[in-house]
Amino acid sequence: MKLAVVDYVILATYFAFVIGIGWMLRKRVSTSGDFLLSGRSVPVWITSLAFIAANLGAQELIGMSASGAKYGIMTAHFYWLGAIPAMLFMGIFMMPFYYGSKARSVPEFLKMRFDEKTRGYNAITFAVMTIFSSGISMYALGLLLHLVLGWDFNASVVASAAIVLAYTYLGGLTSAIYNEVLQFFLIVAGFAPLAILACAKAGGWSGIQSRLPANMTHTWKYMGDASQNPMGVELFGMVAGLGFVLSFGYWCTNFLVVQRAMAADSMSAARRTPLIGTIPKMFLPFVVILPGIAAVALAKMTGVGGEHLYNLPTKISNGVVVGDYDQVLTTLMKSFYPAGILGVGLTGLMASFMSGMAGNVTAFNTVFTYDIYQSYIRKGAPDSHYLKVGRMTTIVGVALSIAAAYVCQYYNNIMDLLQFVFGFVNAPLFATFLLGMFWKRATAHGAFSGLIGGTLAAAATWGLTVAEGKGGVFGVVHTFSSVMVQNFWIAICAFSTCFVVTVVVSMVTAPRADKELEGLVYGLTKIKHDEGAKWYQRPAPLAIFVSVLVIVLNIWFA
Amino acid sequence: MDLRVPSGLFFAILGAILTGLGIFAPGMRAPLTDVNINLYAGLCMLAFGAFLLLMARRASGTKP
Repeated sequence: MKLAVVDYVILATYFAFVIGIGWMLRKRVSTSGDFLLSGRSVPVWITSLAFIAANLGAQELIGMSASGAKYGIMTAHFYWLGAIPAMLFMGIFMMPFYYGSKARSVPEFLKMRFDEKTRGYNAITFAVMTIFSSGISMYALGLLLHLVLGWDFNASVVASAAIVLAYTYLGGLTSAIYNEVLQFFLIVAGFAPLAILACAKAGGWSGIQSRLPANMTHTWKYMGDASQNPMGVELFGMVAGLGFVLSFGYWCTNFLVVQRAMAADSMSAARRTPLIGTIPKMFLPFVVILPGIAAVALAKMTGVGGEHLYNLPTKISNGVVVGDYDQVLTTLMKSFYPAGILGVGLTGLMASFMSGMAGNVTAFNTVFTYDIYQSYIRKGAPDSHYLKVGRMTTIVGVALSIAAAYVCQYYNNIMDLLQFVFGFVNAPLFATFLLGMFWKRATAHGAFSGLIGGTLAAAATWGLTVAEGKGGVFGVVHTFSSVMVQNFWIAICAFSTCFVVTVVVSMVTAPRADKELEGLVYGLTKIKHDEGAKWYQRPAPLAIFVSVLVIVLNIWFA
Repeated sequence: MDLRVPSGLFFAILGAILTGLGIFAPGMRAPLTDVNINLYAGLCMLAFGAFLLLMARRASGTKP
């Protein structure tokens, strides 16, 4: 793919704007709270879009179109089942405790609800995970730019990281959040035309349906039997693994997204952040997944000369030709985008990479500065010292991400790797929060042993089972039909173990007095209801409205 | 800073570039594209940019 001058102009304009936004926001940073928490002053429409955008990294875009080509519309489960319910739960039930407790981070909430060791464990594992996520994202981008445009891998990784560093260093979290909104718009502007063009060329949704096997154009119909659907997953594994454990573990406890809601300017705005975010989120499959599905249909169509309109990308792996789905998105762009809009699409890809990376870097920053540095390395210093540490951590975080990107070169399927990491660290976490927020009897020792138990259970499940010829390092108890199914079950085992261990250990350890738990646990916290506000400004009616919409979508594509 | 101002400006510039390209080079096509996509996408972006700028102006008018 060759870029024209106009494409470079568009790319340069974008770089100028993101750095410009950082530059304009630099004056708003005078305390560590401004830099790391946005001073809790961001309007709700901005936090809502940033909430979605921080998750919409380059690996998400590439991975979702790849999964669209591989699994069809079932991929939408990652949105309609694997995100929306958890986002609603987070806004309605969990945000009052996060925002109301005045905790500055998710690990700090754990410290207030439980104790130091629970916070320390969570803070350190989270810090490692964000660096890896950021590295994965960077690796995906570097590889893509190299494959598609022939740019140097090292140069594109370092240059894009430098731009993220520039604007987060200048304006901190506010700058990251504001830019995420611009990036979100740009992602939609860059990829919605591709979805429309590809879908129209393939004859619309009915044209796609007529060219694809039926199990690729239905979300629920073929879920009864694992052998019938392209993901090879059965109903229980999907709903419990993805729809409950993984998605609630991610959306409700991952500080990367929670941080965006916590930056909102009021409790009501914080609660509405994930709720409003669900509306763009539920329509994103039409932008990010649909092109991949249309690609499969296009590959079956022939032009006037009898040649195929489009060929699914392939690569040679161990001497065999296999589908290289990660290239679906860029090969489609090449087929549909002339110079001009191609620049917008490519800039959209850059933007998605940057929003994902900035999300990770700012979350890492806050957790490192407040939960690791201020707690274990240097307590009680003046705030200006922590502001300086926050800024330095930004640089260190970016440098570590670059290092992680090189580690990631050893892994192939990016989405699967992400799921793998989440399975070990995030899955048990949701059990801890669920019990911590809704069961006042849960104790610190219970929570900590639950977390350790859950992570060990995740590792054991992974080590004792085989999927796609991998795993089984400690022996083979069970064989899964795919790595994805294995990941769902790793999550289910981790969650269940954590839940049981937390309950059992809590029952035999001393509980905390009710008075100490005010504002942290359901039943001991007053939740304000905004009676005077309009329905769409109140969390509960908003959640009902969103639920109806997402149910309609599920039925439509069932 | 009102974020609608820089975002609106950004999309107005992008829209102007694409619309210009669509008008002065209407024949630009990728292998599978049958329409003047630069023109249509450019007009949409211009409209979106104008909408954001208008919203920002309205907001700054009501607040001191």
